[in-house]
Amino acid sequence: MNKLEFLTRLRNNLERGGLPSDDINDALSYYEEVFLDAGFGKEEETAASMGSPEDVAVNILRESGIHVGGAPIMPPQRTGAPQGQQQGPMMGGYVPPKKKASGGTIALGIILGIVTFPIWFPIVCVVVSLLFALIVVLISLVIAFFAAAIGLLFGGVVALTEFPAVGMMFLGAGLILTGIAILVCKPAFSAAIPAIGRGIKGFCGWIVGLFKKGGKENV
Amino acid sequence: MGFSINAGLLDAMVLSIVQNNDTYGYEITQYLRKAVDISESTLYPVLRRLQKGEMLETYDKEFMGRNRRYYRITTKGNDSLEEYREEWRSHKKKIDSILLNEGAGYNEQT
Repeated sequence: MNKLEFLTRLRNNLERGGLPSDDINDALSYYEEVFLDAGFGKEEETAASMGSPEDVAVNILRESGIHVGGAPIMPPQRTGAPQGQQQGPMMGGYVPPKKKASGGTIALGIILGIVTFPIWFPIVCVVVSLLFALIVVLISLVIAFFAAAIGLLFGGVVALTEFPAVGMMFLGAGLILTGIAILVCKPAFSAAIPAIGRGIKGFCGWIVGLFKKGGKENV
Repeated sequence: MGFSINAGLLDAMVLSIVQNNDTYGYEITQYLRKAVDISESTLYPVLRRLQKGEMLETYDKEFMGRNRRYYRITTKGNDSLEEYREEWRSHKKKIDSILLNEGAGYNEQT
């Protein structure tokens, strides 16, 4: 992970946690400084030594009095410290709490998922097919544009011999259409199709995640 | 180092480092690493907490075309550090009396 990715993920997590923007900027400028002070060639190493941006964010939020569910680590001992000695004899040290989601809740989630299958399955199908239809519509639009353009060009060439004026007009219109199709459609599509694809993938992933975690409120 | 460091001890060590001379986050971490295994992300909440408690204050200083945030100890921070040191001395003594068999009697407990 490089500096930019680390800082972006940190910012996203802090924003999601509802930290005031002043505090977010303060934290980000601190972490940016850490990267700069560590040296240019050491971004990956520095990011790795600080742990995941999500954990870093949880600790900052916690310090600001925002309670975050999930896995808290305070003070985050760097990896490599012998686990068994975390609760050393010296201080009433911090005992990392167990992860949530015991076997019971997982089983419950699976049952819930199966029971509500008739409800969510059609919804998933509908959303996925809508997105797919959108892709198809966009693709056919492009094809229509190009077909019209090619038709006009051919027609223009043929008509040129008999009615030069009409032929010229057809050719012109054909070229204009080609131009529009290339100008407008292609860039729009190169962005739109992967985006929709990602949408479908993300949505499926979300559903799977929902199912795995078992329950709706647990997102 | 197998012993865990708690938040109070970390606060005290950071105050002590800053008391020696004004310094910045990265350098504080490097200092602390001589004694404890911590990362920059452990330090940030500590600095934040000390700042909010008015033990530390910050100012920006230019360094190679960018601003670097320096930390400076306040009077309140100095007082607090003295308390921490006092506490540490007595704490250390008690631990040593058991762990290293030092001090008055083996069975003395306070």
